Amino acid sequence: MTNVVIAEESKGKLNLERGLNAFREQIDAPVAAFFSSCVHCGLCAEACLFYTETGDPRYTPINKLEPLKRIWEQEYTLWGRAKKALGFAKPVTDELLEQWEPLIYDACSLCGRCSEICPVGNDISGMIRKTREGMVASGHAPEGLVGASFRAVKTGSPMGVKLPALQAQIRHIEADTGMTIPIDVQGADYMALLSSMEIINFPEYIEALAKIFNQAELNWTLCSEAFEATNSGIQIGSSDIAQELVERVVRGAEKLGVKTVISPECGHAYTAIRWEGPNLIGRKYPFKVVHILELLDELKAAGRLKTSSKESMSVTLHDPCQVVRKGGVRAQPRELLKLVNDNLHEMPDAGKMNWCCGGGGGVSANERAEPLRLKVFKRKRDQIESADVEAVVTFCANCRMMLEEGLEHYDMDMPVYSLTEMIADHLEPSVEEPSAVNVEEEDNE
Amino acid sequence: MFTQDSLGKILKSHGVSRRGFIKFCSTLTSMLALHPAMAAKVAESLEKVQRPSVIWLHFQECTGCSESLTRSHAPTIESLIFDYISLDYHETLLAAAGDAAEKAMHEAMQAHKGKYLLVVEGSIPLANPGFSTVGGQSNLDVLQNVAKDAAAVIAVGSCASFGGLPNADPNPTGAVSVSDIIKDKPIINISGCPPIPVVITGVLAHFLTFGVLPELDNLGRPKTFYANTIHDRCYRRPFYDKGLFAETFDDEGAKKGWCLYRLGCKGPTTYNACATVKWNDQTSWPVEAGHGCLGCSEPRFWDGGGFYKALSLPDSDVRKMAGYAVATGLAAGAIAGIANKIKKQDMLKQHEVVSVDDWDDKS
Repeated sequence: MTNVVIAEESKGKLNLERGLNAFREQIDAPVAAFFSSCVHCGLCAEACLFYTETGDPRYTPINKLEPLKRIWEQEYTLWGRAKKALGFAKPVTDELLEQWEPLIYDACSLCGRCSEICPVGNDISGMIRKTREGMVASGHAPEGLVGASFRAVKTGSPMGVKLPALQAQIRHIEADTGMTIPIDVQGADYMALLSSMEIINFPEYIEALAKIFNQAELNWTLCSEAFEATNSGIQIGSSDIAQELVERVVRGAEKLGVKTVISPECGHAYTAIRWEGPNLIGRKYPFKVVHILELLDELKAAGRLKTSSKESMSVTLHDPCQVVRKGGVRAQPRELLKLVNDNLHEMPDAGKMNWCCGGGGGVSANERAEPLRLKVFKRKRDQIESADVEAVVTFCANCRMMLEEGLEHYDMDMPVYSLTEMIADHLEPSVEEPSAVNVEEEDNE
Repeated sequence: MFTQDSLGKILKSHGVSRRGFIKFCSTLTSMLALHPAMAAKVAESLEKVQRPSVIWLHFQECTGCSESLTRSHAPTIESLIFDYISLDYHETLLAAAGDAAEKAMHEAMQAHKGKYLLVVEGSIPLANPGFSTVGGQSNLDVLQNVAKDAAAVIAVGSCASFGGLPNADPNPTGAVSVSDIIKDKPIINISGCPPIPVVITGVLAHFLTFGVLPELDNLGRPKTFYANTIHDRCYRRPFYDKGLFAETFDDEGAKKGWCLYRLGCKGPTTYNACATVKWNDQTSWPVEAGHGCLGCSEPRFWDGGGFYKALSLPDSDVRKMAGYAVATGLAAGAIAGIANKIKKQDMLKQHEVVSVDDWDDKS
């Protein structure tokens, strides 16, 4: 089974051989440089909330890379090859991968804190993402993520949300507010993406988008063929599946001929469509991608985002890892929050080095990981507690869900708000209705 | 011929005061790095000791070591050593000559069989026994003969200790050290060209006081005097630490007393006590006089590549070597890189697209 050529009979099945091949595919110059330059200092352990909250050394980020490291050492280095030839090397087996599966999926939210801490600059979280490619191909991905990926590809959303469900939510919003939510508008400037979480759990987000865009007189639309922004392929760690899902969004945007695609608040959706997308499909987008907060910040600067009131309650800001640490959207949320609240109390480590909610990187979709996820949420709980506030504001639907569940688990009665929704709630009321009509008229032309 | 008087008596008869004697013992005690309280014991022992018989042999040498001792800064004190010991045979100092001298040596050897000390000055030629003979006997025969019944052998000077100058490349006489020949006796090497006088007296006093030789380093030298490098104890060391070096013997740095490392000082690799004990009644020593250490107490110091060549200056064209090394490294790296790239391409070719249909049991 260690033969590098894949046997004919094992094709079409997920097995160790295919997994090993995937590991070999993933090894490139950065991986070789990272593994060679690791000084075994162990600082990444202290950066990882799965380690700090459990004290379990197996959760040290660099340890999670053992399978990929073995392949690199044994097949891409001279010394490792010599060791292997002499029989001193430990092979990568199904048993090893089975043992490592909970470390790579349940105990890593791809939050990227370890990569930031690493004194020699190794992108550890990036390598865990690479390791997942081999885990998927060898058939060692957790059931929850397999199911989510299956639904994402087959039904269009990891949570099984189909177009009729979105249409139903749109009808509700239109009936409640009298606004029209534009869908499939050919030649619109902006195409908004949503996450399943928003459609099912937080439909207020769609309403908020409509309110804000109407006030700003933005020519926008949803796309019936590509409304889902989340990407289970990124979470499970399969570039093939991720590519398929990104391709879907790109096709939709190209068909409508939009100039800009708006990523929802959702963190990993932003990573998928904004950063990984062009590499996955192997070509440039004919449109721009912005995070909703980046767009709101632009609108604010252009004087097209007008709010009329502020809340006085004390709030703290939870930074979604993919948006803030990895995406670089750091200043905008704080500037935007000032529009509607002057009572921000930052939690310790706020901003670039904030701690993860514990549910990113597919952990929230992996039921098996739930007890661990709630245990390590203690870090976030402590952070929020030390901020001593009345509410938490964030800008990622998944973080929001995790915060709500986690706070409930630790018996903390505290609301969690979406920043976009908060802004929408404080818009100047006068411009709301007429602009909605205007947009509709423009769209019909 | 052999007096049985104790040293105390002899000293008194030579007009050495009790005070002078105690002062000398204290000096020796501190030189030997013994506890100050030991001074009394040294004095007591030296006072009572029966003079041991010493036979001093000269082979291929310049007699500089004997000169160092006899012409040392305080002859009255240092020469006392000759009163402590019964120097029964010393070719340079001996009044007798010819057969009488040889007879004295044989008598001493018989009378003190197994108890006398053998001091050797000079190296032993092995290429041809005729290169150095005394009374028709080769140095090798004399050494083996006299060492046979000695209590211990003291090799004085770098020639006897390590071969010294006669041993320098191309070593025409096949000169070797005492320890190359004598294997079954305790040997103590007092290296230096010449050694510091007090080191010679100190070792003898140690033997007289305690009856054993002092602790030795890996080259058989007494640790008391050879434990530190000249460099570590050098008063110019702070300049080295600051990177201040004299570049020529008459530049500003030399005038300001900066480190002589770049002028070839061998202090960093030389173990001796010059920097602390100094020479000529503690007047000065080579580095203080403005000249780098030659490394004379180290083996093969004549062949160290030149007295004025700095220690770590490479003696071949480094740039050329570095060029080759870099080129080799680049070539090896490129080959390994290409091999790895081919492997990865092969893997990519064999890549099977992962599809959700690959899972048999999807939820």
